[in-house]
Amino acid sequence: MPEIFINGQAIEARDDQTVMEVAREHGHFIPYFCWHPRLSVVGNCRMCLVEVEGRGLDIACNMPVAKGMQVFTNSEEVQAHRKAILQFITLNHPVDCGICDKAGECTLQDYHYEYSGQRSLSHDEKVRSTKFYNLSNRILLDNERCILCLRCTRFTHEVSKSMALGVERRGDISNIRPVEDRPLSEDPYSDNIVDICPVGALLSRQFLHKSRVWFLQPTPSVCPGCARGCTVQVWHRKPEWKLKALDPRQNENIARVTPLDNPAVNGPWICNKGRDLAQVFERARADEPMLKGRPVTVPAALDEARRLIGAARHPVALVSNWGSNEELETFKDKLGEVFHCFVKQDWQAQPGERIEDDLLIRGDKNPNTTRARELFGHAEPDFKDGTDLVLVWGEGFDFARLPPQARIIFLNSYLQPENGHADVFLPVSIQTERHGHYTNFEGTISAFEPCFEKKPGVQHAEDLIRALATPARGHP
Amino acid sequence: MPGRQLIMSFPVTATSHALPEYRARGGYGALAKTLGQLKPQDVVKEVTASGLQGRGGAAFAVGRKWQVVQYDDGQPHYLIANADEGEPGTFKDRWILENNPHVLLESMLIASYALNVRNCFVYIRGEFDLPYRRLADAVEEAYAAGLFGRNVLGSGFSCDIVVYRGAGAYVAGEASGLISSLEGKKGYPRNRPPRLTVKGLYQRPTVVNNVESLSNIAWIINNGADAFKAVGTPKSPGTRLFSVSGHINRPGVYEVELGYPWMKFLDEDCGGVPQGRAIKCVVPGGVSSKVLTGADITNLKLSHEDLWDAGSTLGSGGMIVIAEGTCMVALLQVLMRFYHHESCGQCTPCRHGTGWLHRILDRIVAGDGRADDIERLYYISKFNDGTTICGLGDAAGYACSGILDKFRDEFEYCIEHKRSKFGGNLECLRSS
Repeated sequence: MPEIFINGQAIEARDDQTVMEVAREHGHFIPYFCWHPRLSVVGNCRMCLVEVEGRGLDIACNMPVAKGMQVFTNSEEVQAHRKAILQFITLNHPVDCGICDKAGECTLQDYHYEYSGQRSLSHDEKVRSTKFYNLSNRILLDNERCILCLRCTRFTHEVSKSMALGVERRGDISNIRPVEDRPLSEDPYSDNIVDICPVGALLSRQFLHKSRVWFLQPTPSVCPGCARGCTVQVWHRKPEWKLKALDPRQNENIARVTPLDNPAVNGPWICNKGRDLAQVFERARADEPMLKGRPVTVPAALDEARRLIGAARHPVALVSNWGSNEELETFKDKLGEVFHCFVKQDWQAQPGERIEDDLLIRGDKNPNTTRARELFGHAEPDFKDGTDLVLVWGEGFDFARLPPQARIIFLNSYLQPENGHADVFLPVSIQTERHGHYTNFEGTISAFEPCFEKKPGVQHAEDLIRALATPARGHP
Repeated sequence: MPGRQLIMSFPVTATSHALPEYRARGGYGALAKTLGQLKPQDVVKEVTASGLQGRGGAAFAVGRKWQVVQYDDGQPHYLIANADEGEPGTFKDRWILENNPHVLLESMLIASYALNVRNCFVYIRGEFDLPYRRLADAVEEAYAAGLFGRNVLGSGFSCDIVVYRGAGAYVAGEASGLISSLEGKKGYPRNRPPRLTVKGLYQRPTVVNNVESLSNIAWIINNGADAFKAVGTPKSPGTRLFSVSGHINRPGVYEVELGYPWMKFLDEDCGGVPQGRAIKCVVPGGVSSKVLTGADITNLKLSHEDLWDAGSTLGSGGMIVIAEGTCMVALLQVLMRFYHHESCGQCTPCRHGTGWLHRILDRIVAGDGRADDIERLYYISKFNDGTTICGLGDAAGYACSGILDKFRDEFEYCIEHKRSKFGGNLECLRSS
């Protein structure tokens, strides 16, 4: 345990640590571009230069701790060099923050205000390079903004292992380029490079020029795309920036999804599918209860459902594994005795999707199979003779498999043809409209928060379950 | 002859590079002696005692580098001869590779024996054609004679050699860049720590030595460390090969015993400057060492300590003589074009700084200089010094600030008058 001194503060460090790690742990911030806690050290941005007594300047990210070393992270010499490094970095950078998606969360922008604030000292033309280079069907590359920190190439080599990116040419005309026979579009984790890019060089096509980031706010959530249950941030418009002039749908859109760093589950990464949650959640929604396709009020639908439950002799329930822990537990508690329950797989792997790998993606494409099976067992849905009522909760079940004589209560969120075939149809809220928890395949529980208000006709499944469990009352 | 000759000690003929003639000169005697009589530790001791300094530019003691490698730490070790001679003005290793490749091979065998190396490499510059063919032929001859491979000369020591051709990047001549390139990656230099003698090629202890440094080993083993120290000066033992070019009557490669008077060498051995012009300045050892003016070098000797005292270094031994009447602005422009072109682009200060220097100089030469340009050149040089991964950025800065320090008036003249004081002249033209 060598003792080192950072800005005069004595710190017990571990032998295997670098000065950067020790400094971060103890609240001495050292600016950096290329360093990333989950990637190897390349030390090429030179932003983390610190002064060591007797040794002069060196980069903190590649500096092993040594007993008694005196590190100064903010001396005059260090400040002067930081300023100069920022001069070098911005020398050929277009400084087009006004039209850059990264503006507002850009490391270069932040550091410029924090450590330099100086105008460019150059009077010469900047080196021009390609803009909007087509890196894949998801990502664009602006080589002029690129500061060649190599986080993206290291990510594809060390984390996603697609090895899809490399550096072409050298000097100030070096460019990040895709490797010819290893397309980035086949890397299911490719969008992480957009997040880890410290500047606006890598641009998500989905988010391109969609919104300034300061109009958005993140809500912590859980990706329901597979049993991993990665924690994510769902970005949507801030309430104070909801403008009437915009298409009202824009106020309720998922602008983008980014990972929420969680060492227990996904670390700082998520897969591309997690970025596309809008495709799942922004499908056309069902917002009216129906009796055999005829719109009714919620109480009327509930009454009819209660009547059917009361009359059924052999009721079966197909429980959604997209339900939260709370909903599943309520169902078990309130209706577990009434119905013979099976866990239903709401979602199957889509064609062309990666099924499973060593990094994050799991074969089970549903978020809460673990908790659902703990409560309701592993058995496949089975309709014995005499099944006269089936409660289907959630999508993804082929109604042709139901016994022909059985009545159907259907709880679903989306506008689907089956809705009208059910004897009772009740629209339920989706993940972005409620609180809850999912249990992932390893048993780790993660919480999600609501981003948007639900529509009036739509009920939370938990409330519906409670209502269904109360005894039937007469028609009003 | 500028002093004693250790490497260029024989007349070059059409066949003098081949194995039979090398053997006739006593070649591979040192190898036989090493394998027969010496323990590996003895070789390291001998080389350390000789005080041999690296000939690639940094003049780091070869013995000290070798001592870092633990002979039996259970890992493979590697030895690499750095034949990626790219420093502008330097072509001394080329002479060894063309005319005496076996001295390199013999020395590498001895070094491999001393460092427990099973596989050694020669990383040779891609543009070297004849040197490559001569070296490849020499390797073939050596294998045929049982000098490489399993059980060298029946001693039980085995060693193989690979000659690897680079693709022409200057930065791949930097030891760690060379290793990256040899591993098949982009020739990016690596951050230290770890040192290459701890984690080098394939993350194993690796010794990278210059061709000329290695080529001295055979002589040291043959004649002993004391004999080697008797050559040269106490602080700079041995000889050095200088490749002399520029405005000089007899350019070429010369072996000079260290401590030899500089002006005597230039005037007598190299025939002086054409038309008897005065020496304006000399680049002592490749363009990455700071220039010295004619006045600076008058009383200097060719030794590391004299050059260090004068604020420069012997560097890689690429001596460029520049006669009076040369435009230093145009010269610096050429140098900066080189550094800009050769910067690998890995770390920020060098990637942008070298290009910035180049563009400013282009502008000054074109007659668009600005009053703050000289200050800016100093600024870029200053912040390239010590902030980069390898020495390329520092070297560009040294070259720039070195010339600016000594010839600032020419730059001011060029900026003020929008034309060069010497007509942008780089040639030593014959005056009619």
